[in-house]
Amino acid sequence: MAWTKWSYMDHWVTETPQGPQPPSFNRAYMDRYVKQLSALGFTGFDTFFFYLPLYAGMYGSVPGFERFLQDNGFEKITGIFSAYPSATRYTAPHVRETHDRIVADCTNTLRMCEGLTGVENFIVMPTSTYYQTEPVTDDTIRVVADLWNRVGKLTLEHGMRTTCHFEFWGAIRTRPQLELFFESTDPEYVYFFCDTAQHTIAGVDPIQLFRDYRDRCTGFHFKDTKNVDEHEAYRTPPDPELMAPQVKRWFYEMGEGGLVDFPALMKEIVASGYDGWLTVEHDKAELGGGSYAEATAVAKWYIDNVLARAEAEARSELEAAR
Amino acid sequence: MKDSLRWAYALNQWNVRLDVFVRHEDQQRALKTVSACGFDTIELASGTGRWDNISRPEVILLNHGSHQGFLDFLRRANVQGVSSMFWDPQAPAEEEEGYAFRSTANPADADAIVEWSKPLVDFVAGVGAEQLVVRPVGSAWMTPPLDADGIKRIADVWNRVGERTSAAGIGLALHYDCLGAVHTEEEVDALLEATDPATVGFALDTAELTVGGIDPVAFYRSHSDRVTHVHLKDTRYADTGEEYRMPGAESTMLKGGAGRRIERWFFELGTDGGLVDVKGFVAALRENGYRGWVVVESDHGGNPAELAMLNSWYLQHELGIAK
Amino acid sequence: MTAAERAIKWSYMDHWRSNGPAGPIDQWHSVRTMSAFLKQIKAVGFDAIDTFDFRIWQMYGDYGCPAKYQEMVQDHGLERIVNTFHAADYDVRNYAPHIPQTHENILEDFRVTMGRWSEIQLDNIIVMPATLYYDMEPITEDKLKYTAECWNKVGEITAGYGVRLTCHHEFFCGIQSEPDIETFYSYTDPEYVALFVDTAQHCIAGIDPVALYRRHAQRVSGFHFKDTRHVATGDDHRHRPDSEIMAPTTGKWFYEMGTSEGLVDFRAMMTAVRDNGYTGWISVEHDKANKEGGDYSESTAISRWYAKNVLEEIYR
Repeated sequence: MAWTKWSYMDHWVTETPQGPQPPSFNRAYMDRYVKQLSALGFTGFDTFFFYLPLYAGMYGSVPGFERFLQDNGFEKITGIFSAYPSATRYTAPHVRETHDRIVADCTNTLRMCEGLTGVENFIVMPTSTYYQTEPVTDDTIRVVADLWNRVGKLTLEHGMRTTCHFEFWGAIRTRPQLELFFESTDPEYVYFFCDTAQHTIAGVDPIQLFRDYRDRCTGFHFKDTKNVDEHEAYRTPPDPELMAPQVKRWFYEMGEGGLVDFPALMKEIVASGYDGWLTVEHDKAELGGGSYAEATAVAKWYIDNVLARAEAEARSELEAAR
Repeated sequence: MKDSLRWAYALNQWNVRLDVFVRHEDQQRALKTVSACGFDTIELASGTGRWDNISRPEVILLNHGSHQGFLDFLRRANVQGVSSMFWDPQAPAEEEEGYAFRSTANPADADAIVEWSKPLVDFVAGVGAEQLVVRPVGSAWMTPPLDADGIKRIADVWNRVGERTSAAGIGLALHYDCLGAVHTEEEVDALLEATDPATVGFALDTAELTVGGIDPVAFYRSHSDRVTHVHLKDTRYADTGEEYRMPGAESTMLKGGAGRRIERWFFELGTDGGLVDVKGFVAALRENGYRGWVVVESDHGGNPAELAMLNSWYLQHELGIAK
Repeated sequence: MTAAERAIKWSYMDHWRSNGPAGPIDQWHSVRTMSAFLKQIKAVGFDAIDTFDFRIWQMYGDYGCPAKYQEMVQDHGLERIVNTFHAADYDVRNYAPHIPQTHENILEDFRVTMGRWSEIQLDNIIVMPATLYYDMEPITEDKLKYTAECWNKVGEITAGYGVRLTCHHEFFCGIQSEPDIETFYSYTDPEYVALFVDTAQHCIAGIDPVALYRRHAQRVSGFHFKDTRHVATGDDHRHRPDSEIMAPTTGKWFYEMGTSEGLVDFRAMMTAVRDNGYTGWISVEHDKANKEGGDYSESTAISRWYAKNVLEEIYR
């Protein structure tokens, strides 16, 4: 029985009379976007916290948007992504004085999620960019950990687990840093969200990381990359992801000759007994002439053909072992 | 362009969404496109955050080190300078101002708006540009109807900013837009009346006025003393009367989300079915000895290079202006 | 400097896509899209255009005839159509310059073609002088000789119409290596057969286009100024069925001049053009500029920026 819980992380651009725009351009485009995802067979939808007001505007309310998803074969909105990629004087996870404001923002986001079927993950970017945070010391990591312990307790009251997604250009990126972060956070409140490409770029093996933190893992971004950061691109101000001189495009859909070993990860996931959602993501798929529609279709093909086979093999190995 | 009128080109049509107009080489290509089209001066449009690095002053300086550094960047593409910068204080500046929602119509916001004009004034002056072009007030659908007091409050904010721009040696131009709460010609007149003519001018956008139901040629002729800046663009549609009041008009009206479902309002000069009498308008500018900048723009409309080139052809072929 | 005083004028070669409501379309899609195209070409400063000769059917159908189409071009402020590119369907059974039995067929094709185009004055009719590489190999001296004989005769025909027959060597055609090119030209009559230097095609084939030009400057009747970021390796040049689109080395062979990481030394090229006293047209081309996220409008503007700000500083 192939894995059915695949969710899609809300990145999309489509042609409009005003050039290539996100589908929130207007309701008709948003409908078409949902239908395309539905046709491919996604049943979960992850989105950004700042899109919730837009969807409420277009569909009457956030639950109204979720109902539209459900009319199109989705089970529910599965995750909300919240982030402060660029530290400002108002919000910066490594600056304790801004924690109240961040917690207030999270409270607002949770309020916007009221009435939904059951969002599972409150995915956060634990820090802002490396170059705005450095030097990254043990204390820095502990301050950041305190913030997410606080937020994690709050979100759990609303049925969501705060789960941490580490960018290659974030302040917490190496294995030792990740380990200290996980040690400093409360396993009851703060979880791990494994983005395969981000870790790979930062030189960390995502599969090993999953093995070591299996009990804290509540989700994944299945996305690929063709580059390990070998030029300290992660410190490029002001935007490492877009402006690294050596690499114009970091992220790719699965199955296009990238570095991540998805079949191996799939087997690891099956063996571990993890039964949550698996999420597909390919940010900025339009770079170099790509298209989101095609990238997503190709990724789903990969899931249905390559990963399904890996999953079946893993399950039969488990059966055989019994 | 070789002409007695001073022509500039607006870069906003390349910045179609959050994070696509960021890499310097992409911006160089746009600048070279503008230059190849015969324009050596550009207008910038302020934004917010690290991806608005050819838009928001603080981020421009972070990218290029100094005003001269930025001008050097432009000159690599043979673009010589900046005519103006557009700023909407109602658009929340997420990163610089903590996502504050402000309005010139709200007296409680006046001080903050005046304070936050500083980085923009400094930048416009620092790069040798001439005008800070501003959206005088937010969208009509968001605010209660304005009375004389309301218009005066808005004018007061701009008078205060006008003092700053004047002290910095630059101009301040209030830019009419078809969604704004100052909507009818009477309201615009009242706003102009309440502002100091010595420091506060009017930025006449031919398409925005047309959409808003005001004839740009007639308006220019009767207000030529106050018009200090021009945006030259076309439209195929005029508001049928109350469309600008639809809730969420930025999306429901201007992106076709509702109503007549018109998904693109602004077009390049010479477009089929264009409503603006561009030739008449430019002739009026010449007759009145207009000395400000004429900024050609097309907002978001598909392929930005294509729009710039079609605009350039119109200037050369239909208006007879040599490159 | 007016156009009349300039030594060099610039023509744009017929490759274009714009975004239509039903996907990307070329400029021949409709009169409206043609007008938009011509406006953009003129706006950035080109003086004229080149076309593929198979466009003649659309010129008849949509515009009346080549002369009428040229009027439309002129109405948009461009001078004329300068060159036409004769893109023949080479076939070793009936149309292959290295196979003498097919020569009469080729000659008849040119008699008819020149007749059709005669209502306007072209400068050059440009040809790929050989079939695709994989249809001609092994490239022998005899085959080069027969090819040369074919074009000598064609050149006589075109000369009768005041048009130069000129050879453009794709990296995937039979005559693309330096020795083969030299041998081929040694068998041609310079009065009837000219060389048309495509900077990118030669570069891709591993030839320095500047050196090639300098050696043959007296018989060069025009140029395609375009750039590339790759040299062909391995079997790229003989990849069935289409090297240009399907060769493994890259998905995008051609770029506009002025592209970063380009391999062609245009400054040296322009200097050589000046040194040899070439006057007349340089054609700019960037086939398939819309691949990998590119766009024709922008590439065309960039190429003109480069011509104006870099090359015209050397020679105009």
